[in-house]
Amino acid sequence: MESVRFSFPAPEIDESVDELRKEVRAFLKEEVRSGGFIPVTDCWCAGVDPDFSRKLGQKGWIGVTWPRQYGGRDLSALHRYAITEELLVAGAPVHAHWIADRQSGPLILAKGTEDMKRNILPQIAAGKCFIALGLSEPESGSDLASVRTRAARVEGGWEITGTKLWSSGARHCQYMTVLARTGERDPDKRHAGLTQFLVPLDSPGVTVRGIRDMSGVEHFNETHFESAFVPDDAVLGAVGEGWKQVTSELALERSGPERFLSTFIVLEKAMQHSAAGMNGHQAAVFGSILARIRALRAMSLGVAALLDQGHSPEIEAALVKDLGTRLEQDIIERLREFWPIQMKQGYGDEFQSLMSDSLLRQPSFTLRGGTNEVLRGIIARGVGLN
Amino acid sequence: MEQTDQLILDTAHRLFADQCDAETVNRAENCETPDRLWQAIFESGLTLAWVPEAAGGVGGSLALGFNLIRQAASFALPVPLADTLVANLLLAKSGLSVSAGCWAAMAFDGHEVPSLLQGEVSGVVEAASGAPGATVVVVPVLEKEVVRIATFAPSAIDMEHHESLAGEARSRIIFDSAIPSQLSAPVDGMTVDGLKQFCALVRACQIAGALEKITDLTVGYVRERHQFGRPLGKFQAIQHKIADIVGESALTGAAVEQAVRKLSAHPVPFSGDSDMLLPLATAKIVASEAAGRVTRNAHQAHGAMGFSFEYPLQQYSRRVWSWREEFGPEFYWSGRLGMAVASGISSHGSNHGDGGTWDLVSQ
Repeated sequence: MESVRFSFPAPEIDESVDELRKEVRAFLKEEVRSGGFIPVTDCWCAGVDPDFSRKLGQKGWIGVTWPRQYGGRDLSALHRYAITEELLVAGAPVHAHWIADRQSGPLILAKGTEDMKRNILPQIAAGKCFIALGLSEPESGSDLASVRTRAARVEGGWEITGTKLWSSGARHCQYMTVLARTGERDPDKRHAGLTQFLVPLDSPGVTVRGIRDMSGVEHFNETHFESAFVPDDAVLGAVGEGWKQVTSELALERSGPERFLSTFIVLEKAMQHSAAGMNGHQAAVFGSILARIRALRAMSLGVAALLDQGHSPEIEAALVKDLGTRLEQDIIERLREFWPIQMKQGYGDEFQSLMSDSLLRQPSFTLRGGTNEVLRGIIARGVGLN
Repeated sequence: MEQTDQLILDTAHRLFADQCDAETVNRAENCETPDRLWQAIFESGLTLAWVPEAAGGVGGSLALGFNLIRQAASFALPVPLADTLVANLLLAKSGLSVSAGCWAAMAFDGHEVPSLLQGEVSGVVEAASGAPGATVVVVPVLEKEVVRIATFAPSAIDMEHHESLAGEARSRIIFDSAIPSQLSAPVDGMTVDGLKQFCALVRACQIAGALEKITDLTVGYVRERHQFGRPLGKFQAIQHKIADIVGESALTGAAVEQAVRKLSAHPVPFSGDSDMLLPLATAKIVASEAAGRVTRNAHQAHGAMGFSFEYPLQQYSRRVWSWREEFGPEFYWSGRLGMAVASGISSHGSNHGDGGTWDLVSQ
């Protein structure tokens, strides 16, 4: 019998990481104090503030792991980890640049053309260039291999036709990474014939329309491509390799702190409210949540350490996302015991608003970036069930 | 962990695998002493893993001992290895002599400890572990708020042997002005709460080991067992249960590993220092919560087979159900953790930043 064993080592954290963390924390504290931003829940998906993103760019806190020649700072993944944690727990409005910093930038760095790296990465790092994900479609959600958006070869490039759905923040973005079918559909090789493109959203034939979500925010978008032309060098990576690129991209984004800290700001405020007169029952509820956060953080940092050591902890990363996103939801459910949620955001005090907003946003936690059901399938296959 | 630690762990793993199959565990509960397992453990010197070399021990790190405990639990080892390791560590820390080749009982259950007055020990320990078969009973005692370690020969004290839910020996010991055979000087940096936290981590490590085994058993079972013409593991409903089991088990592993690292970096592991409360409470809370969730899913996936005495699953479920209660269940430690963070915040009286919840839990 094979054994299922995981180990979550502690990453080597040098002093410069702690110093950077302190610096970011102090900056955010001052921003909140001076009214630079009002903390929001689920800030990495709901807090859009391009000016704030630019401010972070000026601080040098975006794209920190990228090489200096492309606007980065050659820092470690742990430096980035510390920055993102501090931004998340402060509820800072970071959505505008989040995807480009976490996902699209690294993808361009790994697969993009030299021109893309020179022109786009420094703009992302400056907090001026934002990128949306063009994955889901009206007929294609968790089953990404079924995408219908098509890119047809034309002279000097490609013509893209189709619709991308649920792209977060696309209206604030300059580019979208679009997964499109470039080869014929083959029922036996569902993952073949897909290619990624980096499409400027101001290209002729591209229209972006906001979609209001149940929390009242228009962060989702529907993007139409009507024979939108892109030149050959808009191909991101290799033609036909889109599936492989997208799945490794998704595997990378599963274990970060945004998978268990999306509602931390609410917990923080709740603790601040109740710390002084806390009774035994409240303490037990808070304690149980805090323990789970600590354990998940150890797990998430463990995945970071494993990645750093050159491993591919795919199951571990899926575990962080499955457990972490459910915890983010549980936090709100459990706090309801002390702060019932009845009114829409904007009525009641700031804290009540955060609670309402969290409740209205939480269904997305266990969906975005691949549903938890898909993740559990990955986990089950990973331990030997097919 | 150091390389020599890994060698010792590998040796222990082979020893446990050779000498402790499921039948050995069941037979031990039916009063058949696993003589060969005892012998092999004594010969290997594993009971001395935490005893310094100068005192005749292995001189292993805290991490080594906790890993041994986790590994032993993944075999449901029906011997008091964990208890003896802790008891011997207390003897060594307090400067008392440690014997090789025997079991030591831990007369400490996380509740009030007996008191010492003019050289005599009085009080009741409700659930001492490892007492039957032990040649020495190790008792932390309090005299004027100071912890000392006392030892007794089992024949010299009044014991009533009970069994835990898992069939592990838990004995009620009454000390009635009993005169110890050895009594240590006050132990530097040792508090009753520190001992309790340490033992809670021991139980959390045991739960982590047992959950790993439950995961293996369940994954193995749903791969083999066919119903409706295919393996159970092909059903998505079952796959999702497995994913839950794997997740809770892995989270428990992560929780105990972070606690062991924090404890290893701490100069006085038994001090009950406030720095240690968060990592140790985290380990026991997460492990105890996982114990219920994992066993529920594992039994469901196993069907009636998992409910039978003969099939090994029940040895592990009963163990985690009793270990989660010992040295404080999740409810107890959650309350303490929540209160500790709350008082950390109130004493700082500041908002986000230093003294915030995040600042406290991210340490």
